[in-house]
Amino acid sequence: MISFQSLLIAISLYICLHFLVAIYAYKRYQKGRSIVSNSFVYSLSITVYCTSWTYYGSVGRAATSGIDFIVIYLGPSLTAFTWWFILRKIVRITKENNITSISDFISSRYGKSQFLGAAITIIAVMGIIPYIALQLKAVSSTFILICNHPSFQLPEHLKNSFAINNSGLFFAIFISIFGIMFGARSLATQRRHEGLVAAIAFESVVKLLAFICVGIYVTYFLFNGFTDIMGQMSSKYPYLFDHLTTLGDLNETSYANWSTNLFLAMGSVMLLPRQFQIMVIENSDENHIKEAMWRFPAYLFAINLFVIPIAFGGILLNGSNSGADYFVLTIPMNTGHHWLALLAFLGGFSAAAGMVIAESVATSTMILNHLLMPLVLRLRITDSFSTLILALKRMSIFLVIFLGYAYFQIIGDTFMLVNIGLISFSAAIQLAPSLIGAIYWPRGNAAGAIAGIMGGFSIWFYTLLLPSVIKSGWIDTDILEHGLFGLSILKPTELFGLTGLDMWSNSLFWSMLFNIGGYLLFSILLNQSEAEKEQCIKFAEPYSEGTRTDLWETKRLSKPVTIIEFVGLMENFIGEKQAHEAISEYLSLHEIDEKGMVSEFELPSLKRFVEKTIAGSVGSAAASAIIENYLSDVGSGMESFYDAFRSVRSSLEESREALYVRLKSSEIMNRSGSLQSITKELLELLVKEFHFDLVTVRLIDNDRNMPLLSEKSILNGDFRISAKISPTEDFFISELLTTKKSQFANDTRNITRRTASAVTPVDTFAAFAHIPLVGDEEPLGVLSVYSISIVGLFTEELLNLLSSLAGQLALAVKLVDEREAREHEKNEKDAALLKNAAVQHEMEMAKQIQLSLLPDAPPNISGLQIASLSVSADHVGGDYYDFFVSDDRFFDAVIADVSGHNVGAALIMVETRSVLRAQVNINTTPSGILASLNNLLLPDLTRAELFISMFYIKYDCATQWLTYSNAGHNTPLLYQATEQECQMLDAEGMIIGVKGDIVFEDRSIMLNPGDLLLLYTDGVTEATDDDGELFGIERLENILIKCHDEPIQQIVDHIYREVICFSGGNPLTDDVSMVAFRIEQSPYDQQD
Amino acid sequence: MKESWVIFFILGLIMLNYPFLNIFNKPDLFLGFPLLLIYIIGGWAISIIVIYLFTISIIDKSPRNDGQ
Repeated sequence: MISFQSLLIAISLYICLHFLVAIYAYKRYQKGRSIVSNSFVYSLSITVYCTSWTYYGSVGRAATSGIDFIVIYLGPSLTAFTWWFILRKIVRITKENNITSISDFISSRYGKSQFLGAAITIIAVMGIIPYIALQLKAVSSTFILICNHPSFQLPEHLKNSFAINNSGLFFAIFISIFGIMFGARSLATQRRHEGLVAAIAFESVVKLLAFICVGIYVTYFLFNGFTDIMGQMSSKYPYLFDHLTTLGDLNETSYANWSTNLFLAMGSVMLLPRQFQIMVIENSDENHIKEAMWRFPAYLFAINLFVIPIAFGGILLNGSNSGADYFVLTIPMNTGHHWLALLAFLGGFSAAAGMVIAESVATSTMILNHLLMPLVLRLRITDSFSTLILALKRMSIFLVIFLGYAYFQIIGDTFMLVNIGLISFSAAIQLAPSLIGAIYWPRGNAAGAIAGIMGGFSIWFYTLLLPSVIKSGWIDTDILEHGLFGLSILKPTELFGLTGLDMWSNSLFWSMLFNIGGYLLFSILLNQSEAEKEQCIKFAEPYSEGTRTDLWETKRLSKPVTIIEFVGLMENFIGEKQAHEAISEYLSLHEIDEKGMVSEFELPSLKRFVEKTIAGSVGSAAASAIIENYLSDVGSGMESFYDAFRSVRSSLEESREALYVRLKSSEIMNRSGSLQSITKELLELLVKEFHFDLVTVRLIDNDRNMPLLSEKSILNGDFRISAKISPTEDFFISELLTTKKSQFANDTRNITRRTASAVTPVDTFAAFAHIPLVGDEEPLGVLSVYSISIVGLFTEELLNLLSSLAGQLALAVKLVDEREAREHEKNEKDAALLKNAAVQHEMEMAKQIQLSLLPDAPPNISGLQIASLSVSADHVGGDYYDFFVSDDRFFDAVIADVSGHNVGAALIMVETRSVLRAQVNINTTPSGILASLNNLLLPDLTRAELFISMFYIKYDCATQWLTYSNAGHNTPLLYQATEQECQMLDAEGMIIGVKGDIVFEDRSIMLNPGDLLLLYTDGVTEATDDDGELFGIERLENILIKCHDEPIQQIVDHIYREVICFSGGNPLTDDVSMVAFRIEQSPYDQQD
Repeated sequence: MKESWVIFFILGLIMLNYPFLNIFNKPDLFLGFPLLLIYIIGGWAISIIVIYLFTISIIDKSPRNDGQ
C-alpha cells in the first residue's frame, strides 16, 4: 500500500530529477564536456516518438483492434533505412543555413517564403494541439485512476478535489516551466538545447524500463511466459484471439487501413515538429545518425515486444478488453503491486512529458519565427527588441501547451487515444511532398509548395479535423451524415463518393492527391524566382561547399564593412553578449582583425555567418531580409520586408527614422561619387526625413574661412544663406571649432550671444544645430541644420544621429581631401619632370651652340700641322681654344679654361671669345692681348666670381719664332726634335679676373722643324684613376716623345684615349681640350 | 553496398503491404504463436540486424563524400 503522500513525494522527486538531469547536462554543455552529444543519447531522444499513445494506447489498440497497432512502429523502422541519406542531407542543409524548424526548412528552400512558413506553422499548430491534449489527458486520466483505485487510500476530503481532477493542469504548468527553462533560455545563436535533450533521453529510458518491467511482470509472474498467454488466450477467447492476431477478414479496408497507418507513421517520424526538432535541429554530429538507424528501431522493437502479452494478459485477467487503454497501469494495481503501478505511471508520465516538451519548444519556435516575428516587424514595436522576442518565445511555449490543455478540457474526452494521434500524423504528412521535393526536386517552387500544402491541409481539415469536432458533439452531425449542403458527395468521411475506405485512408488519399497534384502542377507551370533558385542550389548540393559560397554573394558591395558594424546588427537580435560570443567564435576560425575592414573575399562568408546567426533567432526569412537591407541592397522580392525592417530599432535609443536615415546615409556614403554629390544627397535625405527647413554643409578651408559646400532648403527663396563666412564672426561656430562639439539652440529667442546672420540667422529660424565634421583632430567642416517652426527639435538622440552622420561625412571629406592631395602631388611631380626634361633639352642645345663656337677645323697654313680636340664633361663647359691667322704669316692660338664648367662658365667663355677676337687685331703681342683682355673682362668675372686661365701663342711662320704669354694656365709641352725631349713653356703672368692692370711677360723661342707644341687644359693632366692618382705631365711627355712623328691629329686622339683609359672609363670630371701643332720640315731642309 | 538501402527499403515496403501480407494473414499458430505476429516480429528483428550491418559497412568511409 502506498499513501497519497508517498505518491506525491515520488512524483515531486521525479520532477526534480528531470530538472537535475537537464541542469547537469546544460552545465556540462557550457563547460564544453557534453553528455548529450553522443549517438546513444541521440538515439534515445529520437524515441520521443513513443508518447503516452505508445505507452498506453498500443496496449489499448492491441486489445481492441489487434495486431495493427504495430504498424505505427514498423513505419519508422522502415524509414530508418533512408536516414543515412535523407536525414543526413536534411541535417547538413539545416546546419549550413541555421534552420530552426521544419517550417523554416521548407520555407527556406522555397525562396524563404514567409507565407509558406506561416502556413506550415498554422498546420503544425492545428495538428499538434490535439496531440498535446492527448498527452495531458493520459497523465490526468492515469493520475485519477490511481487516486480513485479502491486499494488506494485517498483521504476522503481529497476525493473529487480540484487537485485530483485537474492534475493535467499541474502537469501543463510543470511542462511549461521546464520548456521555458531549457527550451527558451535565451535568444542564443545556438539552436540546440542540451538540457532539454538530456531530459528527453532520460524520459526515454524511464518509459522503456517501466514498460518492460510491467511486461515481464505480466508475462512471467502472472503467466508462464509468452506461449502460456497465447495458449490461454486462444483457448479462452478463440474468436477474439483470431480477430486480434490477424488483420481481420480479407477485405480491402483492413489492408488499406494498415497501409495508411504505415505510410502515416513512416512520414511522421520525420515530419512531426518535435521529431524534426530532435532529429535534425538537436543533432550535434552527423555520424550519430548512423548509430540511431538501428538503435531507434531496436528501441521500438523492445518497447513493443510486451504489448501483446500485456494486452492479452489484461483481457484474461479482466475478462474483457474494456479499459484496455490503461492495462499497463491497472494490471499491477489490481494485482496489488502498487510500486510497480507507480513505476508504470511514471513511465507514462515520462512518455507524455517528453513529447509535450519537445513539441512545444519546436512549435513555439515556428510560431515565433513565422507568425509573431513578421507581426513584430510590421507593427513597429518600439520596445527593446531582443527582450520582446524572448518573451514572445516563452509565451509561445505557454500558448501551445495551454491550447492543448484547452482542447483536452473541451473536446478531449470524446475519442480513444489512438485517433488523436492519427489526426496529428495526417497533418504532418502534408509536409512530405514539399520536403522531399525540397531536397530532391530542383524544379519545385514556392507556388507549388503553397498550393500542395494548402490543398492537402484543406482536405485534412475537412475530412479529419472537422469530423473529430463533430463527433465531440460540438457541431451538428448533419455534415458528417449527409455531407456539406446536404450533398452526399461532400461527406467528409466519404469524400467525392469514395466509399469503402475508413476515414484515415479516405483523408490520406484525397489530401495526398491534392497535395502532390498541386505541388507538381504549380511547380511545372510556374517558374522559380531568383531567390528560390539561389536557395534551391544550396539545398540540392549541401555537400559541395565551394561553389555555393561563390553563388551566395551575387551583389558586390561598394564599401567595405567593418566587423563591428555586423556585431552591432547582431546585438539587436540575439543580445549583446551572444553577439560578441558569436563573432569571437567566427573570428577564431577566420583571420580578420576585429576592428579591421572586411575584405570582399571575406565578406560573403561573414555575411552568411551573420545571417545564419540572426536566423537562429528570427528565422531565415526575416534574417535574410534584415541582412540584405542592412547591406544596402534592396533584395529582389524582399521589398515588402524593407518597410518592416525599417521599424526595427537599431538600439534602445533610436527611433525608426534614425535607423532608416542611418541605413540610407551609409548607402549614400558608399556610393563613390564626388563629395559634392554625396553631400547633396545626404542633405536631401535629412530634409526629407526630419523636415528641416534648411541644411548646409560648410568646409573649413586653409584660410579658416568656411565656404558653403552644399545646401538644401525647402524655403521659398526669401532667405539666402551667404556662401562664405568667417568663423570668428559667430559665437557658436567659434565655440564649435574650439570644443569640437555640436552647438545647438532649441529656441533662438533665448540666444544672447553674438551671432552672424550668415551662419546662425536667429531671426529666421526657431532652432538650429551646428555639428562639426570631426576628422582625426581638427573639425573639417560644419553640418548645420535649421528649423523655422519647431522649437525644441534637437533631442540628444537626434544630435547623436546627426553627429554620427557628420562623422561619416567627415570621413568622406577626408577621403576626398586625401585623394586631391595625392593628385596634386602627382601633378607637381609630373610638372617637375617635364621642366627638367625641358632644361635638359636646352642644355643640350647650349652644348651644341658652345661647340659651334669652337673652330670647326684648324686653319690650313703651310709649314704647320695643326690639330685640336675639346670634350666637355657636362652639357656645357668652360674650355675654349681658338686660332687666328694674320697676314699669312702669323699664326695665333689660344687655349683657356674658365673656372667651373657650368652655364656661367660657358657664358664667360662666349664673352671671352668675343672680346678676344676684337683684341687680336688691336694688340700685336700676346702679353698685350692678355693684359687688355684682363682689363676688359675683370668686372664681369668679378661679378660672376669666375677666373680664366689662358695661354696665348703667336708664331711667325717666316722667322719660326714663337712668342707666348701665360695667364696662369697649364704650361704647354714643347717637343724639340733636335733634343728629342720635352720642355715646358712658361711665362710670368697672373690668372685673368683677379685684379686689373696685370703685366704679362712675353717670351720667345725659336722653333725648328719637327718641333711639336701641345697646349692643353687641366682636364688632361688632372684626370684621375680609381686610386685617385693624377694623369700628370710625365705621362703626357712620354706620349709626346713616343708618338712625335705620327700625324698630328692622331697624337691628339691618342692622348685623349690614354686619358680615358687612365680614368678607367669613368665619366670625365673636367672638360678636356687640346691644341697641338708641329713645324713641318721645310722643303729646303729636306733638300739639305 | 551504398545503395543497398534502397533495396531493403523497397523490400520492406512490399513485405509490409497487401498482397504480400496476405500470405501470413491467417488465423494459424506457428510454434504456439500467431503466424502474423511471428512474421512481423521476426521480420522486424531481421530488418534491424540488416540496418545494423548496413551501418557497419559505411563505417570506414568518409561521411563527406559518400553521401550522393
